[in-house]
Amino acid sequence: MSAHQPTAAERFLQGIIPENPIYRQLLGLCPTLAVTNGMRAAMTMAGATAFVLICASVLTSLIRGLLKPHLRILVFTLTIAAFVTIADRFLAAYMYAMSKQLGPYIPLIIVNCIIISRCEVCSSKQGVFTAAADAGGVSLGFALALASIATVREILGAGTWFGLRVMPAVWPDWVVMVLPPGAFLTLGLLLGGANWIRAAREKRRGASRAA
Amino acid sequence: MSGWRDLRSGWLVLALALFFGAALAGVHRLLAARIAANVLHETLSQIPALVPGADGGAPVDIRGRTVYRAEAAGRTLGWVVPSGGQGFADRIDLLIGLDADGSTLTGLYILGQKETPGLGNKIIEEPWRGQFRGKSTGQPLVVKKGDPSSGNEIRSVTGATISAESVCGIVNQTVAEMQAALAQATREEPDR
Amino acid sequence: MSGIAAPEASPGPRLEVSPGPHIARAGLTTRRMMLDVLIALAPVTAVSIYLFRWHAILQIAIGVLGCSLFELLFARMRGRPSPLGDLSAAVTGLILALSLPWSAPWYVGLVGSLVAVGIGKVVFGGLGQNIFNPAMVGRAFVMVCFPAALGAAAYQMAGDGAAIVTQATPLTAAKQLGQSAPLWPLLVGTVNGSLGETSALGCLLGGIYLCLRRTAAWRIPLGIIAAAALLGGIQNLAAPAAGWTVLHHLAGGALLFGAFFIATDPVTSPLTPRGMWIYGIGIGAMVMFLRAYSGYPEGVVAAVLLLNGATPLIDRFTIPRPVGGPVPARR
Repeated sequence: MSAHQPTAAERFLQGIIPENPIYRQLLGLCPTLAVTNGMRAAMTMAGATAFVLICASVLTSLIRGLLKPHLRILVFTLTIAAFVTIADRFLAAYMYAMSKQLGPYIPLIIVNCIIISRCEVCSSKQGVFTAAADAGGVSLGFALALASIATVREILGAGTWFGLRVMPAVWPDWVVMVLPPGAFLTLGLLLGGANWIRAAREKRRGASRAA
Repeated sequence: MSGWRDLRSGWLVLALALFFGAALAGVHRLLAARIAANVLHETLSQIPALVPGADGGAPVDIRGRTVYRAEAAGRTLGWVVPSGGQGFADRIDLLIGLDADGSTLTGLYILGQKETPGLGNKIIEEPWRGQFRGKSTGQPLVVKKGDPSSGNEIRSVTGATISAESVCGIVNQTVAEMQAALAQATREEPDR
Repeated sequence: MSGIAAPEASPGPRLEVSPGPHIARAGLTTRRMMLDVLIALAPVTAVSIYLFRWHAILQIAIGVLGCSLFELLFARMRGRPSPLGDLSAAVTGLILALSLPWSAPWYVGLVGSLVAVGIGKVVFGGLGQNIFNPAMVGRAFVMVCFPAALGAAAYQMAGDGAAIVTQATPLTAAKQLGQSAPLWPLLVGTVNGSLGETSALGCLLGGIYLCLRRTAAWRIPLGIIAAAALLGGIQNLAAPAAGWTVLHHLAGGALLFGAFFIATDPVTSPLTPRGMWIYGIGIGAMVMFLRAYSGYPEGVVAAVLLLNGATPLIDRFTIPRPVGGPVPARR
């Protein structure tokens, strides 16, 4: 199709910040809003998503020569669903309390658009190594985005970070931040901030080019 | 034959479905026992705290409900009854500890709740739920604002009366439903 | 497009297109409207200071200074001139402060101001662009954020104010204990409650001034009061033994304060006469519904915010018919 297919290194780096799944592509917002009221839950979600994303990408890339265009989405979904179920069972077996806390959001990784978009964009078209690098970069980007939101929410809402007390004892917990409205407010303000930084940087770049 | 052609073009889907099915069956075989143990352990590990003196327990079916017999050296010391109901924000799930004939509450544990953080979720803290220990089930418990004066009163949670009343209501209802059956089950034990 | 003349050639009045508050009369500025609101709030402010002493003064100072400070800060961030001259920040701060309990810690007013100005107003593009009443956005945020400091219990904290401050608020007493209240204190305002809501007469006095000055549209408070009176009357007929009459419903809680000073915000309320009726009746009905069925004793904040959200839709459904009939569809 196109003359230039991005290399593995490019794919990896693109996924972290320049094409961050949350801040740039606005994909996978359901888990982003639902499980970011604490760092532990957010990082467990990031880990489970990374496992599913990397496994599904590698497998899709391996069978990419066999894919029929009209059946590809079915194959992606089947692959993703299988790995999600494995991740879900492992959490229930080895991290039972966390599995209970995350509840339906682990099975809901199946409908996380980030994974199916990586299957569609990269791993069904490029080799195994590139697909794995791409999945790794996007997973890292997703984890960073979740961490940024969860950090704000947990510190303001509970005065802790990873369950450790970071704010002084007199800190009045902003309860709303660990409730669903806090997720929308935090994501909205952080997105605004990210766009503001990007706009400022582009303006500076444009100015330096003009000079 | 278009049906045959469809089937042929879908062979990959079928093969993957079989493969994943087998893989998931394997994972299930590997982990199912552990997961079931986790679920059971969540309740069983609370039994010594809910029924003082008990060192273990086992699930029993009484009147179509799963309850847990709290035992010490094979004798029934009391019962742990899982229950639940509507709270202020969402469902509240409880474990209620009762003595052998169901006449006294021996403990209360909140398995799951989503009450308002900082207000209603004080129901999970020991100072509040500990009040239920030793209460007689002879008459229904009532929530009282301020310090309780008589035996069947429970101190409310400041600013979250509804949460406190929900828990009391669930306890009262469960006791009313189960007390007689539990007492009977204790009496019918062979070694008594 | 070819049939339309160039703007220079078109005769007739010049139509200004600008965001709200929409001001038709010459000499009427945003600043004067806001000044009117401040004047109208004077009676309830005076009652609150009489009742809660320096607690009230402190809350009002935090609210007004906080909102002004954040307004200035955000204007600076956006490279705009100082907007403090139009007094809208002062009004937001005063209404926010008057909607808080006397016992609220200092940070409640400050966080409320930040959210009221920042999320209630500035993120939408500033005064006139906001969908929701800024003071109510701030109030709702702190209500969810600090439930312990703003719940029913916060009003009953023992303090060194007047003796009033240790009683339950009339609505809480009615809801949780089934107690009614004598009517006279509700009217004068010698009861517990949020700073500005206690005195029904004070709200009426300021409200009537606002309506006479036409700073507030009279249809909105009248719609709210009518709906609340009707539903309160039905409730009263259904349970006459409760002792909580229509007048209690009107005079107790924040209904009048909300009806006159909060719901009438010209930016976030409908522009058309029919729309104002729908909006007012909607708020009144919602308040009564929330008082009867929600977990909270009062529902003015939620009712105003909900109907604020519906305002664009109400305006759209109630476009008045122009003189001489509707404009024929263009071929």
